[in-house]
Amino acid sequence: MVASEAILRRWRPRNLLRSQEGIVLLLALAAFILFSVLLPSFLSPGNLIALVRSVSILGVLALGMALVVIARGIDVSMIATMVVSVAWSFVLARDGYTFGLALAIGAGFAAVAGLSIGVLVAFGEVAPIFATLAAGSLIYGLGRTFFFQLEMQNVPPGQNWFAAIGQGSLFGIPLTIVAFGVLCLFFHLVLTRTRFGWVLYGMGSNPSTARTTGAPIRAMIMAQYIISALIAYLAGLILAASAAAINARLFNSTMIYDILLVVVLGGIGLNGGHGRVRNVILGTVFVGILLNGMTILNIDYTVQNLVKGIVLLLAIIADSVVNPRDEQTSQQGDL
Amino acid sequence: MNDTLTRLRYRMFSDRMVGELLSKSWIDSAIPAFFLLIVVLAASLLTTDFWATGNLGDLGRQVAEFGLQGIGLTIVILSGGIDLSIGSAFALTVLVCLVSMNVLGLPVGVALLATLATGFACGLLNGILIGYLRLRAFITTLVTLVIYRAIYDILFPRLASAIVGNTPDSAIWDFVGFGTVLGIPVSFVIFALLAFLLHIGLSRLRPGWRLRAVGGARRSAHNAGINVKRTVCSAYVASGLLTAIAAFLFSARLGSTGADTGIGLEISVLTAVVLGGVSLGGGRGAVGNAIIGAVLVLILTNSLIRLALPGSVNQLLLGVVLILAVLFDAKWVKNRGKILNKLYVSPAYLSLAPRREANPDPYVLNDRLGATELIGLGEVEGPEDVILDEDDNLYTGTRHGTIERFWAPDYVRRETFAAVGGHPLGLNFDRDGNLLTCVGGMGVYKVAPDGTVAKVTDETNRSLLSIIDDSRLRLPDDLDVAPDGRIFFSEATIRYDMSEWATDALEGRGNGRLICHDPRSGTTRTVLRGLIFPNGITVCRDGQSLLFAETWACRINRYWFDGPKKGHREIFMDNLPGYPDNINRGSDGTFWVALLGMRTKTFDLAMRKPGFRRRMARQIASDEWLFPNINRGCVVHVSAEGAVLEVFWDRGGANHPSITSTCEHKGYLYMGGVSNNRVGRVKLEGADPTWTARSDYWEGR
Amino acid sequence: MRQMIRRWAVAAALVLASATAVQADNQGLENPRSTDFHESLKGKKVVFVPLSMGFDLTEGWAAVMRQQAKRLDYSFEIRDPAWSTDAGTRALSQLITEKPDLIVLHNPDIQSYARLIKQAQSAGIKIVQINLESNSTSDSYVGADWTEIGEQAAQAVVDKCDTGKGVSTKIAIDTGVPTAASDVFQLNGIYRVLKQHPAIQVVSQQSTEYNAEKARAIMDTVLQQHPDLCGAIGIWDNQDTGTASAIQQAGKSNQVFLVTSGGGNKVGCENVDKGLFNLYISYNVPLQGEILNEEIARLLQSKSAAGEVKTMYFTPLTQITKANSNPRNCWTLDDLK
Repeated sequence: MVASEAILRRWRPRNLLRSQEGIVLLLALAAFILFSVLLPSFLSPGNLIALVRSVSILGVLALGMALVVIARGIDVSMIATMVVSVAWSFVLARDGYTFGLALAIGAGFAAVAGLSIGVLVAFGEVAPIFATLAAGSLIYGLGRTFFFQLEMQNVPPGQNWFAAIGQGSLFGIPLTIVAFGVLCLFFHLVLTRTRFGWVLYGMGSNPSTARTTGAPIRAMIMAQYIISALIAYLAGLILAASAAAINARLFNSTMIYDILLVVVLGGIGLNGGHGRVRNVILGTVFVGILLNGMTILNIDYTVQNLVKGIVLLLAIIADSVVNPRDEQTSQQGDL
Repeated sequence: MNDTLTRLRYRMFSDRMVGELLSKSWIDSAIPAFFLLIVVLAASLLTTDFWATGNLGDLGRQVAEFGLQGIGLTIVILSGGIDLSIGSAFALTVLVCLVSMNVLGLPVGVALLATLATGFACGLLNGILIGYLRLRAFITTLVTLVIYRAIYDILFPRLASAIVGNTPDSAIWDFVGFGTVLGIPVSFVIFALLAFLLHIGLSRLRPGWRLRAVGGARRSAHNAGINVKRTVCSAYVASGLLTAIAAFLFSARLGSTGADTGIGLEISVLTAVVLGGVSLGGGRGAVGNAIIGAVLVLILTNSLIRLALPGSVNQLLLGVVLILAVLFDAKWVKNRGKILNKLYVSPAYLSLAPRREANPDPYVLNDRLGATELIGLGEVEGPEDVILDEDDNLYTGTRHGTIERFWAPDYVRRETFAAVGGHPLGLNFDRDGNLLTCVGGMGVYKVAPDGTVAKVTDETNRSLLSIIDDSRLRLPDDLDVAPDGRIFFSEATIRYDMSEWATDALEGRGNGRLICHDPRSGTTRTVLRGLIFPNGITVCRDGQSLLFAETWACRINRYWFDGPKKGHREIFMDNLPGYPDNINRGSDGTFWVALLGMRTKTFDLAMRKPGFRRRMARQIASDEWLFPNINRGCVVHVSAEGAVLEVFWDRGGANHPSITSTCEHKGYLYMGGVSNNRVGRVKLEGADPTWTARSDYWEGR
Repeated sequence: MRQMIRRWAVAAALVLASATAVQADNQGLENPRSTDFHESLKGKKVVFVPLSMGFDLTEGWAAVMRQQAKRLDYSFEIRDPAWSTDAGTRALSQLITEKPDLIVLHNPDIQSYARLIKQAQSAGIKIVQINLESNSTSDSYVGADWTEIGEQAAQAVVDKCDTGKGVSTKIAIDTGVPTAASDVFQLNGIYRVLKQHPAIQVVSQQSTEYNAEKARAIMDTVLQQHPDLCGAIGIWDNQDTGTASAIQQAGKSNQVFLVTSGGGNKVGCENVDKGLFNLYISYNVPLQGEILNEEIARLLQSKSAAGEVKTMYFTPLTQITKANSNPRNCWTLDDLK
């Protein structure tokens, strides 16, 4: 009974206000209610499905990012890995490799990219922000120079089943949302029930202690970047399936910042050590609600960005008021 | 044969330069600068007319804008934060500038003010959020990036056609954009001026120091009373203002702006700043780093564009460059101390002739120091030198930085005569009764008879070819006063501080020098260089020459500083069986030499094997290195010609195992040791009971 | 008699000789115009500054231009800004100091390069603008008439969606980059036609910045809000693959009439075949490439100074539907190499 009491206590409104996660949850609920009341077509099941679908790819990427952030890292190369590995698979498939083999090669490339970043961070002791920044540039340059020439790569002809997956649905729920849900479950299990996940939290919370207690820090760092690279690849496949093409130009967009916003908005702090899958879901859903509502209002995309930014700003201000940064324990180099 | 080869090799190729270069404080910036040099060379070789005025002028203008932003980001990073919103702020300020000039037709000064105000506002928002509300810099500036970008994206399409539809009619505007001053673009001149002022501000003025303090150790800065919040806020405001100036220059140059202005700018500026050597942790970096990095990145990207390489190769190369730069930086910062420790010790070849025992051997062990009177037992620590004044009071220096005075005739009452600091080593009186002392780690100081301490000198002339800044004194050891008042003192080594004197022994190279200070003119000049740990000094009775000991070379030299033989140097006593420390005058025209320790065959052999010593220094921890024997020393009474008259030992070693200095006074011999805690006094049979050093030096002159 | 035979023999010999002489002469005449043509082009320097390499339009033009450069022996270089306007302005500034003979310029928007074009022209560099124009005119412009494309697209949609013709009179427009020539002039053409048909309702007009995923997300939401959407106009096929996929996923490919435009790459034609695009207005990259080549050759030969005479040529458009998507209208990059 004690455990459930604790859980119930956590959801009490007063306690909700104590954490950024709680604040964002309240804000999300408020926005949801507001839009449902004001906009007649918001609450229809079709619209809600479209809402989640439009951000599910962002959500998948955010899952990978969240894993890395929990362990006190960051991975801004995800977009680069995503577009290059998927574009390369498609080029290979067009060149005559079987589709399965092409996909496998693409996945292999993503894994190698993640491994290299992991080695750079673990052995080279380079700060993750820089390692992944540089690696992103390098991967994208590599892809554009050697792997493919045109940035826009269609799904290879004759692979309509692949496109069908992207555009199909399961019991009326689009497969992209189903994929997101499955991955959420998977990550939840990994983070909460496996030793890997627990040590990940330890690494993010106090890396030096984690190392002293014998956790295989370097191996885990490499593993987490491999995972985020593979997640990026998966997200790319989902994206390509649903849009029938992959555009390498996504690398130049601000998509990576959107991912970070989802992660941070959901309540996973960048200094690591805490965060759950529900934070990612919360962040994704909140961003989705905002974007969908604004699109219905036919608000310009640029104004949408402004609203997104202001909302996030308010959220982090609220969080810092509620949980002020402790001067005594905040560490040097905490950006 | 092997020995000769070794000797030649170590004479010709000295390894000391590598270590000394690495210990310089500017080495951190030197590496990016070196890299920049390589890139410039490569660029000028690969691209035609790299040095053409058109190209350089273009580059100059780009450096002006990019460099200003780099400096702004450096300031923010120095304060321990980061600013990802500079790209969007740049776009916004460009928009404001162009609207003021093109659309509203305002005069240039007003447009500049409007631009600066926008930059100020952008920076202020960041500053308030991060400085006062204490949000995290990374995520906050990420959010402001999105906000500023969105504002720009909203306003820009509505104003675009108006901006391009009109061109402002202003000569100043065109001058800023295209004009040159003596062939140098105006924007570059403005940039150079600002960079110079900011450099002075960051490195020499208090605001810069406060900034570094906050960035380097925020909590300590807070505890030290620095207003951390205001400092951090002002860093972001400064960044905003610099961005605004860069935007002003950009607008003047291009006259228009596009939908993607400023996108990705924060990444390239961050790359430039890191490449230039600014540490992301905060507190370390300078304007110079930002400029080096900015020029590097610009030349790289320009050359890549110019070489008509596909844009993807640019990204590839930039990614590789950034990875190498951060990899190097991470490893270097972590390991610099270790590398320096390993590489700094550079042993040289020193060959001492094997001892030939004279017949009869004057060095036969005795116990003449076994039963000395002890003065100040346990009250003084490290009495390296002892001296008595004309009232027979005893003075000695301690490692606590004081000079203690023991009152005659019983030397039981003691008082602190002067608190000098450091560790006062050699002591000597000048003609006027002032006590001169060489203070290890500080310089040469003078104590008046009433106890006031004054500095005589703490620097000498800097030799041109020395990498180490040898203008400062690290280990002044002993001094003596010439008849005309000139002070000659020895500096034992320029490569090591007092605490590491044993490492100098390990090197066995001539790192020391003889220095002369002339009180009449107040100048200090290095007289002799390359001496092997010069220690004790005493002026000979002819008033034209002096004796000085070279400790690890186990010899005493004589050097003429005046008279017909001026500048001549010869060996006075060679191949001593131990390490000579201080030399002082004795009665009957003799000298007293303190031998700090005795030679051992092992250490002598090691001195002939510099490779062995180097490997030892690199592979073993420093507390396990070979050490010269200073467990057993003696006092040698030497004639004016350098013949050994008698030797005093403490056979039991209870009181004076190692002696660094002696002083004969009225028939008694006083002695002290740098690792001892007592001063000893022994009666000399047959010595002149009225002889004092002071009478020997100054009476009859 | 003998004299006559001798005379005839001489005449015959002469005739034979002259006959052979005539054979030897028949090696033709040197064509001074051809020599001049090749001489005037040989060794010149042409630089192409695209929006970016790596997509069908620029790769196609570059391939065609490279072939002529090889044929006529002048140098052809590409300075690739990779979508960055800043890199493009830098490349252009550098070129102004390098002074090539001719620059082929692809403008990211109508005013970023405006000042630099003027500077380059006064520095004596000839400029041909391709497909995306700037507010500054230069020696030549070769490219699509965006206004015309807009008019054609709007007309096609009006034909399908005017009162009583389609399931409703609602259409959506997705634009690219608001300040690019393809946006500003196309929108002008679209609205010129739409003004004449006030029944048509534009329910959504948002910019996608050439991003297919954004286009897809926008169309997705629009379809939810207006399930009876009749038509959609997209300004570029590269981004409208997203729009098309959203329509297909909603199962409304038979209902929503999607018009887009592009270079006529085979991929675009494939999408027409698959039913993703209903009408594809092609500005035919290989054809544009050839016209570009002609302009380059003309300007390199011309003795007039840079910027003295300004011409423009708006290239013909082909409307591609399922009926006429054939190899002549659809090209692949390998065809051009």
